[in-house]
Amino acid sequence: MICENCKQRPATITLTQVKNGQQITKHYCEICSQQLHQHDHSQNEHVPLQQLFADWFGIPTWSANAPKSQQQEEHLICPNCGMTYKQFLHDGKFNCPTCYDAFRDELPQVMKRLHNGATRHVGKMPGAVNATYKLKQEIEGLRNDMKKAVEEERFEDAATLRDQARKLEKELHGGDLNG
Amino acid sequence: MDKKDTFFNATDVRWMAGDVEHGDIVMSTRIRLARNLKDYRFPRAFSEDEAFKLDQTISNVLLDAETLDQHFTHIDIATTPILQKKVLVEKHLISPQLAHKDRSASVVISDDESVSVMINEEDHLRIQCIEPGLDLEKAYFNADTLDRYLEEYVPYAFDEEFGYLTSCPTNTGTGMRASVMMHLPALTMTDQMEQIISMMPRLGMVVRGIYGEGTEAVGNYYQISNQVTLGKSEEEILTDLQSLAEQIVQRETESRKALLDHAETIMNDRVNRSLGTLHYARILTSDEAANCLSNVRLGIDLGLIENIPTKVLNKCMLVIQPGFLQQYVGTTLKPNERDVYRATLLREILNNVRQREKGDDSYDV
Repeated sequence: MICENCKQRPATITLTQVKNGQQITKHYCEICSQQLHQHDHSQNEHVPLQQLFADWFGIPTWSANAPKSQQQEEHLICPNCGMTYKQFLHDGKFNCPTCYDAFRDELPQVMKRLHNGATRHVGKMPGAVNATYKLKQEIEGLRNDMKKAVEEERFEDAATLRDQARKLEKELHGGDLNG
Repeated sequence: MDKKDTFFNATDVRWMAGDVEHGDIVMSTRIRLARNLKDYRFPRAFSEDEAFKLDQTISNVLLDAETLDQHFTHIDIATTPILQKKVLVEKHLISPQLAHKDRSASVVISDDESVSVMINEEDHLRIQCIEPGLDLEKAYFNADTLDRYLEEYVPYAFDEEFGYLTSCPTNTGTGMRASVMMHLPALTMTDQMEQIISMMPRLGMVVRGIYGEGTEAVGNYYQISNQVTLGKSEEEILTDLQSLAEQIVQRETESRKALLDHAETIMNDRVNRSLGTLHYARILTSDEAANCLSNVRLGIDLGLIENIPTKVLNKCMLVIQPGFLQQYVGTTLKPNERDVYRATLLREILNNVRQREKGDDSYDV
């Protein structure tokens, strides 16, 4: 049998490790065994991953321009599941969908770090959400056109646009109620 | 045989079929969508009651699916024996994380094993679609179809600002992880992998070993997937990954050619030496077996080894894993016993091929 590490020299040392309650047997040559053993020691000094995550999230990049005190952020709490923002920073995970709402103002800086600077979703939406979203955008478009029409003193056009926007708003409202 | 049994026993895994685009280098393509239901806490914080209700609701929707082409089977994780769970992990049908759950977690698997939906893993739903070779389009189409179907019946947690809400903020947004599993022996041998791995983060991509998070690359298999799920649409992510995968395929192909041009004897020695080990070794650890199989696969791709069908090699790759091995032997084995059985089993499989080949030869004469 050859050494599992260098795959050249014959294996003369059997190393037995217990990991997660499971016994693992490895076969190494003398040289690799020594090297790996040293390596193992240095690895044990790793900072726990969760700590790293918390430190990483917790760096107050906003402290320079934001007047909000850190204490305030730490007291944010999710009304649905009771998770605090501090706990979220520690765990690196949310406990329920409402957490996103509760921590909304703080999340962009978290997301930025995780997603190469991005803070907003683009892409797929559930069908129902997509329909509402489109409707909202259409209404906003109509309102902009209406403003423009008023500025240009085309009041008749503006009135038509206002009616159209109102009609869509009703639709949006009705859709929400049904959904 | 009960459908469930085939999930635990069959080694004829569809996503391992090699006769597809870039099938010699890209083993498989996988799409995973993370989804959660409104009004329920995430699995890390939910109650027994919530867990049970979620499992019931979601699996019923899938099992009753009449408009989908697929037929599904529901497997409860808590009541499945450890060995069988290991096999499901080794077949990539469930994650190691799900296998460790002890309450109301389950998986719903399509008959052809191309679609599996994990229920109550880190998120309420993990839709997973696997296709052989490089086929992001088809894998995404399947995942998207199932996702669209599910959203009709279960209300998803979605936010206009953050997209699909997931337990871990690293999945927030599209909730999509697209990945391709690649066999890259030539790039590994020529020390080019480190450079490739180091350029990934800038592209919003990440390279991992074969079994996803936290595992090393064994047997020169690498899984390349998107890291970023927010601020990029599904299409953008898929297009980026596709072009990245194609570039890597090209570099691997060039490196293979260069190795063959400049060091044919060395390569020939290497791949046949590995074949020899598989034929004659009496003790084989999974790492050594995986590396030998990788070399043999390379030998086949380069035309240096003949007469071993890819199908047989794929079977070997599956059965060297602890879960499969023990399922095959039919009993629990200690690690050192596994190494012996692994060697025996590989010898048997390869000798069968040899004998069949000899048989064919004598028939020809």
